[in-house]
Amino acid sequence: MSGADLGHPLQLGIELPVSAADPGAAVRLARRAEELGLDLVVVADGTDDGGALDAWTVLGAVAGATGRVDLATRGLRLDGRPPAVLARAVASLDHLAGGRVTPGLAAGTGGADADDALDALAEGVDVLRGMWAAAEPGPLVHEGRHHRVPGAQRGPAPAHELALWLGATPGSADDGARTLAARVADGWWLPTAGGAEGAQGARARLDAVRREQAALDAALTAAGRDAREVRRGLVLDGASLALDPRAVDATAAPSAPVVDHLAALVLDAGVGTLVLAGADEAALVAFARVGAAVRDRVAAARAARGTRVGTVRSAAVRAARVPGIDYDGIPAALTRTAVEPGDAGYAAVRSTYMRGGRPGLVLRPGDTAEVVEALAYARAQDVPLAIRSGGHGISGRSTNDGGIVLDLSRMSAIEVLDVATRRIRVQPGARWGEVAAALHPYGWALSSGDYGGVGVGGLATAGGIGFLAREHGLTLDHLRAAEVVLADGSVVRASDDENADLFWGVRGAGANLGIVTSFEFEVDEVGDVGFAQLVLDASDTEQFLVDYGATVESAPRDTTAFLIMGPPRGGIVAAQIMAMVDSDDPQTIIERLNPFARIAPLLQQQVQVVPYPAVVSVPQRHTSEGEPVTRSGMAEHLTPELAADAARLVRSGATPFFQIRAAGGAVHDVPADATAYAHRSANFSIVAMGSSRRRIDALWDAMAHHFHGAYLSFETDPRPERLADVFPGPTLERLRELKRRYDPEDVFRHNYSVAEPPAVVP
Amino acid sequence: MTDYGHDLLFGSFITPGNAAPERVVGLAQLSEQAGLDLATFQDHPYQPSFLDTWTLLSYVAARTERITLAPNVANLPLRPPAVLARSVASLDLLSGGRVELGLGSGAFWDAIEAMGGRRLTPGQGVDALREAIAVIRALWDTGERARVDLPGEYWPIAGAKRGPAPAHPVGIWVGAYKPRMLRLTGEHADGWLPSLGYLSSLQDLDDANARIDDAARGAGRDPRAVRRLLNVGGQLSATRTATLLAGPPEQWVEQLAALALEHGMSAFIATGDDPTLLTVLGQEIAPAVREIVAAERGGSAGVAPAALVAGEQA
Repeated sequence: MSGADLGHPLQLGIELPVSAADPGAAVRLARRAEELGLDLVVVADGTDDGGALDAWTVLGAVAGATGRVDLATRGLRLDGRPPAVLARAVASLDHLAGGRVTPGLAAGTGGADADDALDALAEGVDVLRGMWAAAEPGPLVHEGRHHRVPGAQRGPAPAHELALWLGATPGSADDGARTLAARVADGWWLPTAGGAEGAQGARARLDAVRREQAALDAALTAAGRDAREVRRGLVLDGASLALDPRAVDATAAPSAPVVDHLAALVLDAGVGTLVLAGADEAALVAFARVGAAVRDRVAAARAARGTRVGTVRSAAVRAARVPGIDYDGIPAALTRTAVEPGDAGYAAVRSTYMRGGRPGLVLRPGDTAEVVEALAYARAQDVPLAIRSGGHGISGRSTNDGGIVLDLSRMSAIEVLDVATRRIRVQPGARWGEVAAALHPYGWALSSGDYGGVGVGGLATAGGIGFLAREHGLTLDHLRAAEVVLADGSVVRASDDENADLFWGVRGAGANLGIVTSFEFEVDEVGDVGFAQLVLDASDTEQFLVDYGATVESAPRDTTAFLIMGPPRGGIVAAQIMAMVDSDDPQTIIERLNPFARIAPLLQQQVQVVPYPAVVSVPQRHTSEGEPVTRSGMAEHLTPELAADAARLVRSGATPFFQIRAAGGAVHDVPADATAYAHRSANFSIVAMGSSRRRIDALWDAMAHHFHGAYLSFETDPRPERLADVFPGPTLERLRELKRRYDPEDVFRHNYSVAEPPAVVP
Repeated sequence: MTDYGHDLLFGSFITPGNAAPERVVGLAQLSEQAGLDLATFQDHPYQPSFLDTWTLLSYVAARTERITLAPNVANLPLRPPAVLARSVASLDLLSGGRVELGLGSGAFWDAIEAMGGRRLTPGQGVDALREAIAVIRALWDTGERARVDLPGEYWPIAGAKRGPAPAHPVGIWVGAYKPRMLRLTGEHADGWLPSLGYLSSLQDLDDANARIDDAARGAGRDPRAVRRLLNVGGQLSATRTATLLAGPPEQWVEQLAALALEHGMSAFIATGDDPTLLTVLGQEIAPAVREIVAAERGGSAGVAPAALVAGEQA
C-alpha cells in the first residue's frame, strides 16, 4: 500500500507567509494562488515567537479575500483555544467561506510531556467532532483530564463534510501522533520533506515518504480503517525542488525532473496533497506551471491504470449507505458537496418544509454542468429522484426515502442583466425573500407568493400567486427565458423565440419537463407598499365569504388580498385578511382597505407602509416529518353556494389552515392557452390543509362542482382525476405531447406527471 | 454637563446569526457604505445559532476596506487573553489598523461553564478582567524586550515572548455597569462600552461616568483618556415620541447630540440589524449630530481620547 496511488483527487497548494513584518502577504499570495488555479492555501501555526500573525485570524481574513481555494490550517495547537469554542469557529468559517475549510491540528505545548500533549489533542478532537454533530440529541458532555465540557449545545454542523487533519509533531519521535491520526483523522501531514536538490535528493525524499506512508498504513490497519480514508499531505520547500523562479516565460516547459518527482509522489507514494512552503510570488508562479504539468501526468496515468479517484468516507458513514446507489461512482465534481446518510450534515438536508425524508444521497450541484452530471448519474441509479429548489414543495415531492435528491440550493445567484428593461437572471435555489431584497435597491419587485423562504425554481415553474398578483400577474408571467436541463442531459434555452413549445410548458408545468437552471425575468417597478393584516369576526361565515369575494373582485387592481381562516375558537370564526396595496400613499391605502374592514366586525388591525421585501423576508429554516394533506380549487366567484360549503368545511375543524388567495386581475390578461397555467378566469385560488386526507376529501369532493381546476402547487390528492383539474382541458393534451418529446421516460415524475400510463410514485 | 471633547463615532451592532452568514457580512458592508465608523458584533461563543465572533471579524475585515471592527464585547472567559491579544494584533495588522477590542468579563456563567469556561463570581470576574488587560497590553508592548511574566490567579503567563504589536494603539473598551467594574474601566481601559438598555436612566449614565472619572483620576489618568461609547436600541418612525430614540431622524439627532454634549457619550452603536436604520444613521443622523456638537464646541469636531491626552488640539 505504501507504494500505491491512493486515488485521492490531487490538490496543489501553498503555505502562506504569516510574518507580522509583512501582514498583507498572506492575502496577496492567497489571491494569486487562486488566480493561478491552485486548489489550496495553508496557514501553519508557528511558535509564539512574537513575529508571526495568529494562524486562525489569518485564515479568516484569507477566507474573506478568496472564493474558491480550500482553506487549511496545519498544526493548529489548542493552547489557549477552548476546543468547544474552536469547533464553532471552524464550523462558522466553513459557513462563511462556503464549505472550504480543512482544519489541521497538532499537540500543544502545555502538558507534562509529549504523551500528555497527545492525550489533550485526542480529547480536543473528540470535543470538536461532538460539537459538529449537530443532529446528535442532547448537549455535548466531555469529562476529560485535559478538557472539560459539562454540557455545550452542539452545532452548527460545518457547511460541508470537512476533513480534520493531524500532523507529525516537529522534533518528536512521532509514533504517538501517527497512532492518534490513524484512529481519528481524515488527513495526515507527513513530516516535512526538505533535503537535497537534484535526482539523489528526490529519490531519498520518495523513499522517506514511502516509509512514512507504510508506518501510517500499518497504524490504520491496526485501527481497522481503510488506507484511503486518510488523505496524505506533503509540504515541500521550493529550494529543494529546484523550482526555477526565473522561468517566468510561459512558453518554457516546466522542469521535467520536478514534474516526474511530484507525479511519483502521487502515483507511487500515496501523496494526494502537495504544498509548497516558503513561496514568494515568483516561486508560486513556477509551482503553478509545474503543477499543471503534474495534473496532466497524474490524470493520464490514472486513466491508463483505471484508478478510481475520490475520497473514502469512514466505515461508520459507509455503514449508513443504502442499497441501489453507487456511492463510489459519484462524479468527481459532486463528491465534495454530496451528503449521505452517515454525514454530519445529513439532518439538515434530508427533510423539507412539508415532508420528512430519508434520501440515500443528496447531490448539490453548483452550476449547470454539475446539474447535467448529477442528473445523468442519478438516472443510472435505480432509486427515486427528487429535484429540490427551496424545499417548500407541497405538491412537489422534493425529498424521498432511499432515493437521490438533486438539491439546487447552491445555485442561488441573482443578477441584474439590464436596468433599462428591468431584466434579471435568477438561479433556482435562490429564495424569494432574497430576490425581493436584491431588487429593492433598484425600486423593483417580482410578486411571488406569501413567504420569503420559498425557492425560485418550484414556484416559478408552477405559477406564483403573490401579493401583487392582481396588478402584476403571476410570477411565471414575468418569465422571458429559461435555461433547461432536459432528461437526456441536453441544455437548451427556452423563450418565445427558441423552443417556444418548451417555454410554454415550463410556465406552469416545468416540473414535468426538465430542470430549469436559470430564469430570466422582466420585473416590475414597485416602491414601498401598504400592507395590512386585519382580523375580523367571520362567524356569519357564509355571508362573510360572499362579501369578501365581492370586495376583492371590485377592488382596483392595485389591491391584492389573501384570506386565512381556521376552525372556530371560543365560538368565533376569525378571518385574517392580508392585503397589499401597491401604493405608498396612506390615503390611498386606507381607501382600498376600508371596504375590507367593513365586511364584518374588526377585531384587530395593523397597517403599515413598508418596503416590499419586508413582507417576504426569509425566515429561519423549518422542516417537517410526514406528508402534507391539502386540496386546491380555482373559483371564478365566491358564490353563496360555494360560501356555504366553505363555511361548512371551516366549521368542521378538518382544516386548520384554509386560505383564499386573489388570483385574478392582471392574471386574466394572459390567455388560458398562452402558458401551461390554464386557470385564467379564476378570481380565487383556494386551498385547504389538514391532517386527515379522508376527512378533507369527503368535504372537498362534495364542493368540487364549484371549482374550475386546481392550482398545481397546492394540490396533494394522489387520485388520477386530479390531473385534469391541475391541467384542465386542452392544456393536458398539449403537455402530454411535450412530455413524450422531452421526457419520454418520465424522469421528472414527482409533481403531477402527465405521462401515460400514470407514474407510480413510490 | 460633561463633554470630554471626543470626536464622535457612529456604528452598528450586528447579530452574528449563522442561518444567513452572507446577510451578516452584508450588514457590515452596508455599515461601511452608509459611512458608519464602526461595525461591531456580539460575542456569545456558547450560542449555537451564532457564528464565532472572532472568526466573523477576521472574515469581515477582508470584505471591508475602511470601517473599524470590534467585538461587542469579547467574552473573556472563553477567550484566553494571550491568544486574544495575538489575534487582535494580527487582525489589526491584516486590516490596516481597523480593529478595536470591546472586552467583557462574561455574564452568562451557566452557558460559559457548559462550554468548558471557568465559572467566576462577579468580583472574581473583575479581577480576571484586570489580569487579562495586563496580559494583553504586555504582549502588545514590543517596545519592552523582557519576556512577559504575570503570575496571576486567573490568567497566569510565564516567559511569553511579546508581539506582534498591533498596527495602531488598539483601544480596550470594557462593558461595565457595577462599581468595581466601572472603577476598573477608569483605571485601565480606553473606553467604556455599555448598552443603554441595561441602564435604568440617564442618571445612571451620569453616575457611571462620574465613577469612571474618579477612578481614572485616582490612578493618575486623565478621564478624557476613556472614550464613552453606547449601544443604543431604537426605531425610526414618522412621529415624534417621548421615548429616547423612538422617532424621526430629527428626534434622533437632538437626543444623540444631547447625549454627547450633556452626558459625555462619543460613540453611538445602533442595535437592531436594520439596513434602513443604519443607512439613515450614517447618512443623515451622524452628520447632523456632528454639526450640532461642533457648533456647540465652537467649531471643534473633537479628537480621539489618546490624542486629547497627548495634548493635541482639534
